[in-house]
Amino acid sequence: MAPDPSVDTVPPGRRRFVAAAMTAIGAAIAAIVGVPLAGFFALPALRRSERRWLEVGPVADFAEGRISKALAKPLVGPVWPRETGRVALYVQNQGDGKFALYHIHCTHVGCPVRWNAPAGRFFSPCHGGVFDKDGRVLAGPPPRPLDRYEYKVEKGVLYAGRIFKVNDRLEFAAWHHA
Amino acid sequence: MAPRLTAVLGWLQERLGTREQLTRFLFRRLPVGTTWWHTLGSAALFLILLQTLTGFFLAFYYVPSPEHAWDSLTYIQQEIPFGRFVRGLHYWGASLTIVVVFLHLLRVFVMGAYKYPRELSWVVGVVLFLVVMLFGFTGYLLPWDQKAYWATVVGTHIAGTAPFVGDYLWRILQGGVEVGTRTLGRFYAAHVLILPAVLYGLILVHVSMVVYQGIGPTPRGPLARLRRQDYARLYEESKGRGETFLEHLVRDAVVAFVLLLALAWMAATWSIPMEEVADPTDTQYVPRPEWYFYFLFELLWQFPGKWTVVATFWIPLAGVLALLLLPFYDRTSGRSPLTRPVASAGAALALAAVGVLTYQGATAPAPPREGGAVTQETKALPPALAKGAAVYEAQGCSACHVLKGTGTAAGPDLTRVGARRADAWLRRFIKDPSAVQSGASMPPYGELPDEELQALAGYLAALK
Repeated sequence: MAPDPSVDTVPPGRRRFVAAAMTAIGAAIAAIVGVPLAGFFALPALRRSERRWLEVGPVADFAEGRISKALAKPLVGPVWPRETGRVALYVQNQGDGKFALYHIHCTHVGCPVRWNAPAGRFFSPCHGGVFDKDGRVLAGPPPRPLDRYEYKVEKGVLYAGRIFKVNDRLEFAAWHHA
Repeated sequence: MAPRLTAVLGWLQERLGTREQLTRFLFRRLPVGTTWWHTLGSAALFLILLQTLTGFFLAFYYVPSPEHAWDSLTYIQQEIPFGRFVRGLHYWGASLTIVVVFLHLLRVFVMGAYKYPRELSWVVGVVLFLVVMLFGFTGYLLPWDQKAYWATVVGTHIAGTAPFVGDYLWRILQGGVEVGTRTLGRFYAAHVLILPAVLYGLILVHVSMVVYQGIGPTPRGPLARLRRQDYARLYEESKGRGETFLEHLVRDAVVAFVLLLALAWMAATWSIPMEEVADPTDTQYVPRPEWYFYFLFELLWQFPGKWTVVATFWIPLAGVLALLLLPFYDRTSGRSPLTRPVASAGAALALAAVGVLTYQGATAPAPPREGGAVTQETKALPPALAKGAAVYEAQGCSACHVLKGTGTAAGPDLTRVGARRADAWLRRFIKDPSAVQSGASMPPYGELPDEELQALAGYLAALK
């Protein structure tokens, strides 16, 4: 009859060897399977500048001194996904060929802000966030001014690029997805 | 027993040892005073099984892509026989599962069943509770309607406020820089593949623990206080006088059946809220979370600006840790809630806070829409007041004030402001709030033309 299962039926040296072998093989399996899967899962999301430029529209569409909502179209996209849906943003023509392009998500928790032209303010509908026409926080809980897009004008057409955060003095603070 | 059944059982017995296993499982004794409250765990399991089953079938028709998701659900609801019913079971079942899981957690807390020797059952149970909440969060996006899309924008933003890793977490959740095709793919994979695997793995562990340790007893009589060294003796003694699991099983079945009846009634008669297909460019939409996340959404009011992270990260983290570690810091011998006033009071307080916040979320005033509700009534007003009402509307006052139940409650409710404030005071205040009342958080409206200011103040002063 076979002996009852017991730790003592295997000598200590052998047990240590089994432990070491199992650890090594286990770690190797975890690495060979885990590293590609983790990269597969996370890396595309962390890619820096996948979306190059959004075509916002002819500069002439944006009257000087005014803020208007624009629908922009991704210009050079990746093969997939073709996010055919447009991207909304607010365009402020500051004159002298200068623009400010605001992200529509409130910097608090991301509710869509509305531009109210008569009041000259952006309002967030969720927790009472109010921004002035330059995106500064006037009231409510938003922690920083509205995020902006970098932009360029080529042949009279306005393009929006990467999104960045600004500090309270409206100076560049950080790329949003750097 | 019918001879054929006996033969089958005998066949299985030779191969699997079924008889001993079944006997041990079904005829194990339970402690005295195992009550209807002890059915909540099996009720949660029943609802989870039902969610799994209805989910299997929804997956036959549902397509996880922004182009098709909304349409495929509309198809399920409008074209497929029993489609509305099956989706209804899954939809209302989700809320019911959260309620029952929470009640189960509460039962275990109240009866002190997280104490020695069931600390790990509790820890695994808390993780299960979080997994169930994640099911809610991921499942919520799948219909791809406005509510789904914007709730997820807010949800991922909230995750993005986490210190240090927030930005990465945000993008990994979204699968990119915005909520889109890849977010839907991720949430779908999580909802139907990964989370179920985790859920059932943990349930297996959780249930094995309950079978191994036996169910936590009702803390009455000698079991109201249980010192570690007395535990085994007193628990065994109680089991000696209690009923068997087989007898308790009837309670489990009755509760499961009643829940199913209630759920079937909901699925058959309640309509499922389904909004327009998601539109990321809509700037008029007012996001609202599902009811079980109201407390978090409302908590945000308390922590503005740089403090936001307290509400979005630190308080939830503290809450989860407080729950997870409960059996390790509450090591008193008292099991009845009356024998451990500190823990009971703490829990009651936390529960009241969550309850109040959820209530606030549920009763929040109707959100302001463009050309809001006030416009209808203004037609009946005298011209002077109508002008003021128009200014109120045009200047977006409802973004921060509630008037007759419409608006956002960031600032004071103005429904009866005229009874508190006079015309002249209002005029000065609107022009420069902090000059009139130090610490006023309303931004000044100094650029408002005098005539509009007068009309607005006159209108507000007339609201009594």
